[in-house]
Amino acid sequence: MALLEVHDLHAGYGKMEILHGITLKVEPGQIVSIIGPNGAGKSTVFKSIFGLLPVRQGRVLFAGEEVTNRSPEALLRQGMTFVPQGRNVFPLMTVEENLLLGAYIRKRSPELLEEVQRVYETFPILREKRTARAGDLSGGQQQMLEMGRSLLLQPKLILLDEPTLGLAPLVFKEIFRIIEGLRQRGQTILMVEQNAAKALEISDYAYVLELGKNRYEGSGEAIRNDERVKRLYLGR
Amino acid sequence: MTDVFQLLVAGLSIGSIYAMAAIGFVLLWQTSNTINFAQGEFVVLPAFVMVLFLTVFRFPFAAAFVATVIVSTLLLGLLVKKVLVERLLKMGVLPLVIATIGLSMLIRYSLQQFWTPLALPFPAIFSRQPIRVGGVIFSSEEVMNVLSAAIVIGTLQLLIRRTKLGWAMQAVAQNRDLASVLGINVSRLVGVTFMLNAALTAVAAVLIAPVYLVKYDIGIGIGLKAFYAAIIGGFNQIRGALLGGLLVGLVETYSAAYISNQFRDAFALVILIGVLLLKPEGLLGIKEEWA
Ligand SMILES: Nc1ncnc2c1ncn2[C@@H]1O[C@H](COP(=O)(O)OP(=O)(O)O)[C@@H](O)[C@H]1O
Ligand SMILES: [Mg+2]
Repeated sequence: MALLEVHDLHAGYGKMEILHGITLKVEPGQIVSIIGPNGAGKSTVFKSIFGLLPVRQGRVLFAGEEVTNRSPEALLRQGMTFVPQGRNVFPLMTVEENLLLGAYIRKRSPELLEEVQRVYETFPILREKRTARAGDLSGGQQQMLEMGRSLLLQPKLILLDEPTLGLAPLVFKEIFRIIEGLRQRGQTILMVEQNAAKALEISDYAYVLELGKNRYEGSGEAIRNDERVKRLYLGR
Repeated sequence: MTDVFQLLVAGLSIGSIYAMAAIGFVLLWQTSNTINFAQGEFVVLPAFVMVLFLTVFRFPFAAAFVATVIVSTLLLGLLVKKVLVERLLKMGVLPLVIATIGLSMLIRYSLQQFWTPLALPFPAIFSRQPIRVGGVIFSSEEVMNVLSAAIVIGTLQLLIRRTKLGWAMQAVAQNRDLASVLGINVSRLVGVTFMLNAALTAVAAVLIAPVYLVKYDIGIGIGLKAFYAAIIGGFNQIRGALLGGLLVGLVETYSAAYISNQFRDAFALVILIGVLLLKPEGLLGIKEEWA
């Protein structure tokens, strides 16, 4: 059974419909990528799955349960976390406070503090900076903080929107190394990445969106080598 | 020399009341982007309510105070949030600002029309016995005002720093979208903030009423000074609002005594303009370059 199934998703802003029926599926343990040009509606897919934007038509199923239009809180409780596009931290709070807010829906417990330690093992730089203000971190460090925060609830699925946007090449590599590490631990991830070629390299499956509709899909390998996709999106 | 100290306590006394109103003002701004131009009337209305409980219902003082805080919290907190904020916030900051100006007039002139255009006396809460320290005589009422405000503001700070609710408030203030992504119910939190603000202004009301008497239009001055205080101290900092409130109280008291009583209100404005020119983010404010 798929971990996440999205059927014929319609959503938009105001009178404008942006998604005209998106369908996708994520199996447990997979990394699935959504690629497509800017403005295709990739971020909008995430926002409507995660209850931040009303789904107007269609269904979202998560771990076998219908979760269409559930609140973020309910989805977090069911094991889905979301790392939105752009830098998303609480700038005046410390790194550790930011991390702990990732588990806002949970009670403070010894297990939670253990989980924080596990995140520090994955991201040693966060331990080093744990009393620094999140707003003072570099872009790459903030992104690691965001990813660490999304791991804190031990989610079944992470929605990851453009994790390397605006990062320097070296940091970019570091983030991808971390994503591959997560995959080795069996973490399921649905992600959007502007460097599609690199994302497809590590993806089990991929969907190509265009103007709010499914365009192509296939294994990461197949999409990466697809002549049409190459010409249109991979710039090669 | 002795009046310097007396005036210090007098200035801190009125300043700490401005500070409470200013802190509430900043809290509303931070969590809901509401600039509440009715903040002055949020202080006046509870003062009238308190008079009602004391003189009409003949409640003992403590019971009247508790009842006033509850009524204020429900009326100026919950009701205002549900009726005005929830509907208007979606449309941006400006409609809500204008709505709060309307609300301030509604409260002010309803009190004048349907209650009384006259100033109502308010019983002294604290003894007016002077306290003598060394050669200096202080009004014990003023000292108690400062202490009461300090307790209320200190408790609020603890709430914000140490409780989960306070964390959520900080989170919403710093990044509202991210707060929702982490499962914080932003709308409910805005409601709680409005209720906290209304409780703060109710306390300010009860402390200021014996000083100014209870009159429908005293909110104009109080609201303006809370606004000045917030800007002087820094709109995004509670500590800033505290500092700003105390500063406005001190400046107004000293300038009334030493320069001109008639122009007392002008001097806070001079400070305000100075701060805006030299440090526009406020004395303790933080530049919002990350926003
Ligand atoms: N908050 C918003 N309000 C109105 N339109 C939006 C909003 N966010 C995105 N859009 C529009 O929706 C379309 C899809 O945007 P988005 O999902 O962010 O695309 P992508 O993530 O694929 O670049 C774009 O045309 C964009 O202008
Ligand atoms: Mg996007």
